[in-house]
Amino acid sequence: MDSIRGDFMQRNTRIRQFLVVAGAASLMLATTVAAGAASTKGTYSAVDAKLVPAAYKSGTIQVATDATYAPDESVNASGTMIGFDVDLIHAVATTLGVKVNENNVTFDDIIAGIKAGKYVIGNSSFTDTLAREKQVNFVDYFQAGEGVYAKSSSTLKFTGFKSFCGVTVAVETGTTEQSDATAASKSCPSGKKVDVIPFPTQTEANTAVRSGRAQFGFLDSQIADYVVSTSKGVFKSVGSAVNVAPYGIATPKTTAGSGLAKAIEAAVKTLIANGTYAAILNKWGVSAGALPLSKITVNGATS
Amino acid sequence: MSTQEETPLKVVPVRHYWTWVGAAVTVLLVSMVVHTLLSKIPSGTYSCASTHPFRHCTPRMVWRFGWTVVGHWFTSHEILKGLQITIEATVLAMVIGIVLGLLIAVMRLSKNRILSSPAWAYTWFFRGTPVYVQILVWFNIAALYSNFRLGVPYSSWDFVHFSANSLSPLTVGILALGLNEGAYMSEIARSGLISVDEGQIEAATSIGMTRAQTLRYVILPQAMRVIIPPTGNEVISMLKTTSLLSAIGITELLGAAENISATNYEVMQLLITASLWYLIMTTILSIGQFYLERHFAKGALRTQPLTPLQRTRADIRGVLSKFRTHPDVPKTRARTT
Repeated sequence: MDSIRGDFMQRNTRIRQFLVVAGAASLMLATTVAAGAASTKGTYSAVDAKLVPAAYKSGTIQVATDATYAPDESVNASGTMIGFDVDLIHAVATTLGVKVNENNVTFDDIIAGIKAGKYVIGNSSFTDTLAREKQVNFVDYFQAGEGVYAKSSSTLKFTGFKSFCGVTVAVETGTTEQSDATAASKSCPSGKKVDVIPFPTQTEANTAVRSGRAQFGFLDSQIADYVVSTSKGVFKSVGSAVNVAPYGIATPKTTAGSGLAKAIEAAVKTLIANGTYAAILNKWGVSAGALPLSKITVNGATS
Repeated sequence: MSTQEETPLKVVPVRHYWTWVGAAVTVLLVSMVVHTLLSKIPSGTYSCASTHPFRHCTPRMVWRFGWTVVGHWFTSHEILKGLQITIEATVLAMVIGIVLGLLIAVMRLSKNRILSSPAWAYTWFFRGTPVYVQILVWFNIAALYSNFRLGVPYSSWDFVHFSANSLSPLTVGILALGLNEGAYMSEIARSGLISVDEGQIEAATSIGMTRAQTLRYVILPQAMRVIIPPTGNEVISMLKTTSLLSAIGITELLGAAENISATNYEVMQLLITASLWYLIMTTILSIGQFYLERHFAKGALRTQPLTPLQRTRADIRGVLSKFRTHPDVPKTRARTT
């Protein structure tokens, strides 16, 4: 009797053992699959890594960012650079198998720094424009418009560039918003010109709106949304975004720089294909600006 | 005792050979500096002349320092307008600073603690915070106080009533610089006032002068000699400190140069343009300071220091005298008896 029971028990135990192992394995697989889908890290791709020019394969690539533009790039309380641009460039670096080093600098120094050879990549929410493409290459990877915010107590509305006439607008030096706001002044009646105040960093521009020095803050649309949502009711969005244009990652206008641009383009396409791109955008709440695969290109500006 | 013939001694100046070596090295280094300032680098583009059967291309060379761009923007309307604002800001900020500084210094040296303590506190506060921070705070002061009024304190009678943001950025910038400068000037003025010998004050008191009269007729005139050189230094320094106003959107000289380079990306060239103008202004102010110091040194020195012009003329005369056919024989003869 014992031996029969023993046999039966043995078979049951083995079945149970098998079920437990199978269950654990499938759980692990499910977790890895799930983790892979939500990962914002990127994985190495030998195909893309082959496109990296020899000059950049070894050593560390210097990246320049103006980290006063949350949620794209900002510095957290412990001094680390965080943001969707930051995560994206790290994912691109992992895909291409290169090392990058972040440099926090003022926005209008970045293109000059790339031209002077100080930095190789400019990753700072650059709007890809034809004028800028004369200085550097751009890999289009995102799109954003220009948005306006004002103090909650303001009665001014933004319905287009005409709304800027006779108003003080705070912008960051060197941005497309600075040139667009200054250009808007030309179509304003005389005596009601746009007073554009450029500030070295976006933080100072926001302070100027907060203190009432400027009535409007004019900056990239998802940044405007972020500033409003984290301002604890001090600011509000006015009007909708204008001039939707692609963002570009900047590389030097040399042969090696153009090669690197092609490599970054391939890497971004890989990140879209394996879901990392969507995961990063989702994490920072900027999915509205996702660029479709067909629009990921080098130097794709139309204005 | 027979007298020896008086033979004129051959007088030769001491030869400083190592000075000559040092001078040669300096001349070499200076020539290298001038050479690199005027050097050219390939621009990356080529100019090709097609001569059959070959195309002969030579690289186009541009100034390393971009002197063409510098020359183009040096006298441009935007830069000159920026220069005008810089000079305005310097003058107004220094006037506010000097007046405040003298006032605070006199308060500091008062026997009355109610006057001297706040004066010390003013100096401590405005020297203790960075001037850049002060500019930003005054610019955004409406975040703390949205309205200002001049009137009877603790009552509602006022003569002047204005909102913080009605003051233009330039006005608040100059005010911020002036208040900061007042703190530094007060220390300079105080050092000038205490440099006057205490015996002077005792003597003045003994002949019946009040403290105010002593200050005006005895102390201040003598203190000026100690106050002027650091004040000249402060004016020259203020000329450059006004460049911080570009952070609140004022297009003074540096701001104008940055605006231009933001559109044409010639950052170095525009910075050189602005720097050249700052150097020229500093030179003019330095010359002015030299003559001012000379004026105040009239009662104190036996011989006035030579002006640069006089020094140059003396140097030229010295060099030319070496080439004269009959060199000046020293008038004194050696005594041999």
